Amino acid sequence: MLKTLIDAFALISTWEVIIAMFAASVYGLVIGSLPGLSATMATALLVPVTFYLSPIAAIATIVAASSMAIFSGDIPGALLRIPGTPASAAYADEAYAMTRKGQAELALGAGVWFSAVGGIAGVLSLMILAPPLAEIALSFSTFEYFWLALLGLMCATLVARSSPVKAIAGMFIGLLVSCIGIENPGGVPRFTFGLTDLFGGIEPIPALVGVFAVAQVMRAMLTPEPPPLPRRKFGSIMAGQWKLTKKYHWQMTRGNIVGIIIGVLPGAGADMAAWVSYAMSKRFSKEPEKFGTGHVEGLVEAGASNNASIASGWVPSLLFGIPGDTIAAIAIGVLYMKGLNPGPTLFTEKASSMYAIYLMFIIANIMMIPLGIAMIRVAAYILLAPRSTVMPIIMLCCAVGSFAIGNNMFGVVTVAAFGVIGYIMEANGYPVAAMVLGIVMGTMVEQAFVTSLIKSDGSILPFFERPVAAILAAMAIGALLWPVMVWVWRKMKPPQAAAATSR
Amino acid sequence: MRLPDSVTGSFLVALGAAAAYGGWILPPVPGQPVGPNVFPLVIGTGLALCGLAIVFGIGHSFEEEEELVPLENGQAASPPPQGKLYGLRALLPPALLLFYVFAADRLGFILAAAIMVYVTSTALGAKWKLALPLAALSPFAIHLIFGKLLRVPLPAGLLPTPW
Repeated sequence: MLKTLIDAFALISTWEVIIAMFAASVYGLVIGSLPGLSATMATALLVPVTFYLSPIAAIATIVAASSMAIFSGDIPGALLRIPGTPASAAYADEAYAMTRKGQAELALGAGVWFSAVGGIAGVLSLMILAPPLAEIALSFSTFEYFWLALLGLMCATLVARSSPVKAIAGMFIGLLVSCIGIENPGGVPRFTFGLTDLFGGIEPIPALVGVFAVAQVMRAMLTPEPPPLPRRKFGSIMAGQWKLTKKYHWQMTRGNIVGIIIGVLPGAGADMAAWVSYAMSKRFSKEPEKFGTGHVEGLVEAGASNNASIASGWVPSLLFGIPGDTIAAIAIGVLYMKGLNPGPTLFTEKASSMYAIYLMFIIANIMMIPLGIAMIRVAAYILLAPRSTVMPIIMLCCAVGSFAIGNNMFGVVTVAAFGVIGYIMEANGYPVAAMVLGIVMGTMVEQAFVTSLIKSDGSILPFFERPVAAILAAMAIGALLWPVMVWVWRKMKPPQAAAATSR
Repeated sequence: MRLPDSVTGSFLVALGAAAAYGGWILPPVPGQPVGPNVFPLVIGTGLALCGLAIVFGIGHSFEEEEELVPLENGQAASPPPQGKLYGLRALLPPALLLFYVFAADRLGFILAAAIMVYVTSTALGAKWKLALPLAALSPFAIHLIFGKLLRVPLPAGLLPTPW
């Protein structure tokens, strides 16, 4: 244990890792603070760069950039009422109301402080949850993996903030995309339409870049430019945060826990964590009437929640290769690339690398405090950059980055195609996160499914025979039937349903 | 690009059916009951069923809470000019990427990238005074990072970089 810890320290105390982490932190802070550029997009655009780094440095950049971007989305949310990332959308109104009351420092300080605390709570959950789960997961057979993957996919559809039917459809589209190529049980070209480029299948990373970056540039083409940030002088940013921590320690803990749980659930990420925690904070608050008028309580809870979900999203990713959120989906791609294939054995064979990941998360969250304060002070200058200069550079990075992944132009075509697909899906209420999950998990789901079918010789019974498999199966089927039950229930009680939706 | 649910749903039915059929005609693995054909069959069927449900509006009631971040109320956001062709502007970024695919080898990275940056920037409302220097400088910066530091083989084309 101690030896692995020392090994882990040795792994991360190289110049490459330190510089990569610092650069990625600054990059994450800048991208996160620009409205319309999300944390997922920041991470996706980082992947081509990680190609050329050592495994630990590559993961360091992802850890640092994603943690920072989630916090830094709070900055334009508080100052402009435009959330920099979707994860800050839940409480942007509240933070802006505080700014109007002259409490911008308190709102932003709470953003930094409780983000860092939440992030560290998330890492602790990763450290505590992952090893025992890995122990259990070692005895999993393909049946358990199949149900687990199905459960993961169903979770993503359950928590989507849109029609569950559309979410399931999105998931199927993602799975269908993963069918392309010759990497299937028979090794035959499937859905390749005679194109050699499609033989290798659709790489998840260009697809993600397209869905999250190109689609965003497409949306920018049709939406008006956000107003520039008024310049202002800030007082002490951390003043009063300790008092808030003591006053709202229960809210903070609850935010952390909710964030961790939502992070672990596949497909549900920081934005969902923030929405749920903010709503929860309002529901259980002693002074709910103050919410919306510039009250810091909800900020504390939601800020603690969204950053906690970032680290805990890595739990299912590292253990099963099932991404906890879209950022973890990208991280899984990088893990595979770097020879750290997700799975329970990662925790026994590559224990020092796992400890290195924990340490990097902790360091990133500590670094967030000074860097975040600096970022708040210079945010006014960064937000001066008009969209018409940022978006072209994003486009350029998409083109070059997707080319760099396989050194062929087909990557660029993939990015363009998925930009269109992502844009159309989003515009019509199909959650793209569900599709992304489908693409990332497709190969694994199919492998587990077909192997199980071969083992069981076409019979369905073995899918339920093992105890863990039976439990997972019950949960997955329950998740599948849940929207149907809600739908039926609503049909039976129309008056209440109407009241519930108008609330 | 908001299409009616019946349109997207029908499209999904067609896509699902095509996928299921495509899976069906795949050659099986000799001597084994299941092969590459099973998964697309299941997925395609599921997708088609979802498409049907969407056409009939099942699950639509869940969409009410879908709400986008409200714009600033104080400043009346100028309504975007609505023409018939205005919506097509959204297709510009993917079109430019495809342009890059075809042009990069012939024109070289620097020129193709400069054109892409200039067009995107202008389309987002930048004046030429901003767009031109941006288009002139940013390809070099990106080339420095990706081409020089990360050794991505970017095509040189007509205008090779000085390094």
